[in-house]
Amino acid sequence: MQQLVSVTLSALLAAGLYATMAYGLAVIYGVMRIINLAHAGFMMLGAYVTFTLFSRFSLDPFIGLVVVGPLFFFFGVVLYRAVGKSMARSGATPSIESLLLLFGVWLVLQNLAYVIWTGDTQSILTSYTMKSIEIFGVHVGVPSVFVFLASAASLIFLNVLLKRTYLGKAIRAVTQNRDAALLSGVDADRISATAFGLGTAFAGIAGGMLSTLMAFTPDFGRSFLLKAFCIIVLGGMESVTGVALGALVLAVLENVLGAYTPVPTSLQDAVSFALLFVALVAFPQGLPALFARFERKAIR
Amino acid sequence: MLEVTGIDAFYGKVQALWDVTFRVAKGEIVTIIGANGAGKSTTLKTISGLLKPRKGQIVFEGADVTGLAPNRLVELGIVLIPEARQLWPAMSVLENLEMGAYARTARPARAQTLQSVFAMFPLLKQRVRQRAGTLSGGEQQMCAIGRGLMARPRLLLLDEPALGLAPLLVREVFESLKSIREQGVTIVLVEQNVRHALALADRAFVLETGRVTLSGQASDLAHDPRIRDGYLGLAAV
Ligand SMILES: Nc1ncnc2c1ncn2[C@@H]1O[C@H](COP(=O)(O)OP(=O)(O)OP(=O)(O)O)[C@@H](O)[C@H]1O
Ligand SMILES: [Mg+2]
Repeated sequence: MQQLVSVTLSALLAAGLYATMAYGLAVIYGVMRIINLAHAGFMMLGAYVTFTLFSRFSLDPFIGLVVVGPLFFFFGVVLYRAVGKSMARSGATPSIESLLLLFGVWLVLQNLAYVIWTGDTQSILTSYTMKSIEIFGVHVGVPSVFVFLASAASLIFLNVLLKRTYLGKAIRAVTQNRDAALLSGVDADRISATAFGLGTAFAGIAGGMLSTLMAFTPDFGRSFLLKAFCIIVLGGMESVTGVALGALVLAVLENVLGAYTPVPTSLQDAVSFALLFVALVAFPQGLPALFARFERKAIR
Repeated sequence: MLEVTGIDAFYGKVQALWDVTFRVAKGEIVTIIGANGAGKSTTLKTISGLLKPRKGQIVFEGADVTGLAPNRLVELGIVLIPEARQLWPAMSVLENLEMGAYARTARPARAQTLQSVFAMFPLLKQRVRQRAGTLSGGEQQMCAIGRGLMARPRLLLLDEPALGLAPLLVREVFESLKSIREQGVTIVLVEQNVRHALALADRAFVLETGRVTLSGQASDLAHDPRIRDGYLGLAAV
């Protein structure tokens, strides 16, 4: 019983982080139909910027996120303006050019990080890093709780943005039917720049949060990119709810396998990869499509 | 109001329009007649900016608008209601309509325009909370027309607005086009039901494999044997 509570809790806490991380990929794919291979690089950079803010300016990493978010949004917009034309959406599938370009951006970011921060392993040690609190009789690390709260806050912010503002509705409109959005007067280029900025900001925030949970090097982020792929394949790219659902499925699976089976933690990445594979084969349209199918069956 | 001169349009390497030329005067209804694949939708896509012409010129109210992005053209008042509805399926009917007024020229009057759209299609008002993807085909068509009107068009381009509607609704849509025109909106209409379209329109022209082959007053064309045999024969059944 105790273990069940513990597994549920850690799955839930991880899911928040995963959703933040995956949404960054989803919004860029949704609007521009490109797969942002530089996502892992942005996460790594987010971790280092948070680290620098903490070590140089003694800014608490979670307060640092308030700086990292806007900073990375700006960075993403500038990057889009610089190289966006070659990423311009040409059809329903991502172009090879865009993939290569973004992969290149990732490599550049990695090398930049080696130059600025060296290849040494870094970590953030705050006064509460080692502390834990008790929830339902289970000890949970304080940073994990903060990460969950910060994730929840960013996802709520995002949901309000998408549901309540003209800008957010334009993002959804371009995602759901680009031509119709153009014909209603939406400036596709501006929305693409915004989406790229948002995606970058979410990657940076996710990286910043991860830096409070684990050590990192310039190579950091690869396994999380894989997890993010897995989540958006599961949850679809259309909605925040879908992404959150995909994140929860992955987090539950990882934690359940870790707790109840002898699968070693070192094989955790294999879990997301296996899940990605199964998901692609079994229901290529993602969980929402699967649910829709069930719903239709139930009505009949 | 609209002068299209010598337009060539391509999809990749495949040419779809050859030297298409026509004009639309203010307040007119002009209809484009043509078989499947003749290039009617392509013509409307080109005017609305979704497709950039390789050659030729488009002048709207005296200004050269060739190659402008769709959002700029919407702000100028050129609005296309595209073929096959193209709604945002996961948004509610209300959101679809509201986003129709996204252009900065349409936003200030949004609430007012919404009321007139509801007056035209009362059924939409009962469906505002429903996701557009779950509407019936006919309801989706109404929603698409409503969304186009939300942009406050001065030149309205309609691509088969009556497709999939019950006969009674087809009549309603055509009636509403009349009232839209009475509000001073100029209309270019593509419609499978050539008889209906010619009855409504002032002028018409015929597209055959991407070229204009015939044009004139709608009433004259309705009696032209080439139209009667080629396009009215089946529609009369
Ligand atoms: N997206 C596209 N890519 C490539 N070719 C296209 C595309 N859209 C249309 N075409 C081609 O361009 C030509 C004109 O098509 P268009 O859609 O304008 O015809 P249409 O007159 O609207 O026909 P319909 O009455 O069937 O709607 C056709 O030969 C068609 O195959
Ligand atoms: Mg067509």
